[in-house]
Amino acid sequence: MSEVLLEVEDLCTWFPIKKGLLRKTVGHVRAVDGVSFRLEKGKTLALVGESGCGKTTVGRSILRLVEPRSGRVNYCGKDLLSLDERGLRPLRQEIQMIFQDPMTSLNPRMRVIDLVAEGIDNFGLATSPSEREDKVASVLKRVKMSPDQMGRFPHEFSGGQRQRIGIARALAVEPSLLICDEAVSALDVSIQAQILNLLGQLQDELGLSYLFITHDLSVVRYLADEVAVMYLGQIVEHAPVERLFTSPAHPYTQGLLEAVPSADPNTEAVRVAVLGDVPSPANPPSGCRFHTRCPQVFDRCPVEQPPVVVLPLGSARCHLLSDDGEGS
Amino acid sequence: MSTLLELEGLTTSFPIEGKLVPIVDEVSLKIDEGKCLALVGESGCGKSMTALSILRLVPRPGVITSGEIRIDGRNILPYSVPQMRAVRGDDVSMIFQEPMTSLNPVTRVGDQVLEALRLHEKVSKKAAQQRGVALFKRVGIPDPEARFRSYPHQMSGGLKQRVMIAMALITKPRLLLADEPTTALDVTIQAQIIELLRELQRDFKTAILLITHDLGVVNQLADEISVMYAGRVVETGPRQKLLGSPSHPYTKGLLAALPSRALPGQPLFEIQGTVPSPKDWPEGCRFRGRCAEAREVCAASIPRLQDNPPGLTRTACFAREESP
Repeated sequence: MSEVLLEVEDLCTWFPIKKGLLRKTVGHVRAVDGVSFRLEKGKTLALVGESGCGKTTVGRSILRLVEPRSGRVNYCGKDLLSLDERGLRPLRQEIQMIFQDPMTSLNPRMRVIDLVAEGIDNFGLATSPSEREDKVASVLKRVKMSPDQMGRFPHEFSGGQRQRIGIARALAVEPSLLICDEAVSALDVSIQAQILNLLGQLQDELGLSYLFITHDLSVVRYLADEVAVMYLGQIVEHAPVERLFTSPAHPYTQGLLEAVPSADPNTEAVRVAVLGDVPSPANPPSGCRFHTRCPQVFDRCPVEQPPVVVLPLGSARCHLLSDDGEGS
Repeated sequence: MSTLLELEGLTTSFPIEGKLVPIVDEVSLKIDEGKCLALVGESGCGKSMTALSILRLVPRPGVITSGEIRIDGRNILPYSVPQMRAVRGDDVSMIFQEPMTSLNPVTRVGDQVLEALRLHEKVSKKAAQQRGVALFKRVGIPDPEARFRSYPHQMSGGLKQRVMIAMALITKPRLLLADEPTTALDVTIQAQIIELLRELQRDFKTAILLITHDLGVVNQLADEISVMYAGRVVETGPRQKLLGSPSHPYTKGLLAALPSRALPGQPLFEIQGTVPSPKDWPEGCRFRGRCAEAREVCAASIPRLQDNPPGLTRTACFAREESP
C-alpha cells in the first residue's frame, strides 16, 4: 500500500464573465467543476483532454496560481486551500511546475545560473555564492547539461535544451511533486524522446511524483500509471493506464482513442467517432456534458447528470455504465 | 497516371552571416495526379520552405537559386507575375497550419472565400455565393448560409480550418499544398479533418502535398512519403515500405522514438543531440553528427538517393550502400 501524496476533492474553479459598464458578473466559466483524484508517492497521474477541458486550470489551482472556488487539495495531510500565503510558501518548494513553452517561460535576460538558482535564492537554500554555484552545477548535470553552460542566456539553446533548463529550475529546490503542463508538446519527436527518458530517469532516482497534463495520448500511455480523462471541467473517466487504453469505458475516451492516428502502416485508419466541436464551458450542455457529441446518446443523457460509476478498475461518469442505466 | 508536379534539384537559399545557405538543398520529388505525397521532418528541415517555393512565395531575402519546378511538364520558374497568379489558385492552392492567424479577422469568412474565386473566374456575385455556400456544406460546416456571414473570431479552430480548406478548393485546384493542416487542432477535430481531406481527394481527384511532422497523420493520408533532414530528402518511398521497413538511420530513429512504439518500462529510443542550425550544417551527410552508423565517407561526400533492393525505399545513406 503506497502513500497518498496529493488528494484533490471536489475541486471547483470558476472564472467570472463580466459585462457592461460596471463589470457586473453575468455568469461563470466553469473551467473546473467538481474534480477529484489522488496521486500516490512516486507515481505519475496523467490528466488528459482537449483544449478548454480545464486540465491546465486544475494544475494551476493546486498551486493556487488561480484561486479555486471550492473543494479541498490535500498535500501530505495539509489542505492547501485553507492556508494563507505564509503557510503556503514551504509547500511551493515541495510542488514545482514545468511549462509547455520553454521559450516564453524563461526570462530571456537572465543567465542560466540565475534562472536555475532563482528558487534556491528564494527559499534560502544556499549559504554562500560557491554553494549556490555547486547546487546549480549538480542540478544541471542531473538534466544532462554541462555546468560550463551556466553563463549563457536562454536564446543560445535549442528547444530541447531550454526544456532541460526548465526542468533544472524546478528540481533546484528539491521538490517531491512536479506538475508538468504539456511539458513535451512543443518538442520535435527526437527531442521529445530525450525529455521523456529524462523525466523517467529522474522519477526513478529521486522518487518524484508527476501530475502530467497533456493532450497527447501516446505520451500518456508510455509514461503514466493512472489516467484521468477530462471533458468540459469534469473527469469523465479515471483508470490505470493499461485498462484505459485496452478497454476504455466512457464513450468520450473511446472516441478519443479511436481518433489518434497511428504511425503503424498495418493499422486501420482513424475513425471519426466524436462529431462536432467542444461546446463552450461558459454554457455547458445540460445533463451529461458530452451528450451533444456522444455517439451512444439516449433520452436520459440530456436530462440527468450521470453519476460517477465505480468500475472494477477505475471509474467513469456515464449513464450507460450505471446499474439502473439503459445500456442497450 | 500522369505526373502533376515535379521538383528537380530545387534549391532555395537564404543569406546567413554573409553567405547564401541552401535551406532547401537539391530537393527532387514528384506527385502524380490525385495522389498524396507527404513531406515529413522536424522543425527547420525545410519542408514548409519547399511548399512556399512551389508557389514562388519564398519570403525575402530568400531566393530560389537552382532547379526546376514543373507542373504538367512545364517549368514555372521563368513565369511572369501574372502567369504565376494563374498558377496559384487554378493549379495549386495552399492551406496553412494556423487557421487563427491566416484568416483576415475583419472580413466575413464568406467574402474571403469568394475573393479567390472572383479573381480567377468571371462569375456573378450570386452564382459565386451559391458555389461558396455549397462548398461550405461540402466541407462539413453546419448551417453554411449563416456561417458564410460569420467573422473568424466567431468560429472554433476546427471550423476555421474547414473555411481555409473551402477557400483553397473554391478554384478547383489540381494540387493542394497542406502545411501542417491538423497540428493546431484537438485530436477529435484532427480526425474529422483527416477524414475530410481523404474524401476530397477521392471526390475531386485533388493531389495533396502534405507537410507535417506527425507520422501518425502521414500514415492516414499519404501514398508516398519523403523524409527531409536539414534541407535534404534523405529517404523516399511508398507509405507501407517507408513506415514499415525504413532504411535511413534518421527515419528509423524517428519511428523508434515515438512513444507509441515503446514498451512500457523501457526507455525510448533517442536520436542523440539536436538538429543543427543551418549555419552549423556539417559537410557531407548532415545527419552524421547524430548517426550511430556514421563512417569516414559520410564526412567526405554527400550521399545521394539510391535505389535499395526492389520493393524498398530510396535512401541517401552510405551505410546502406555498403551493407544493404
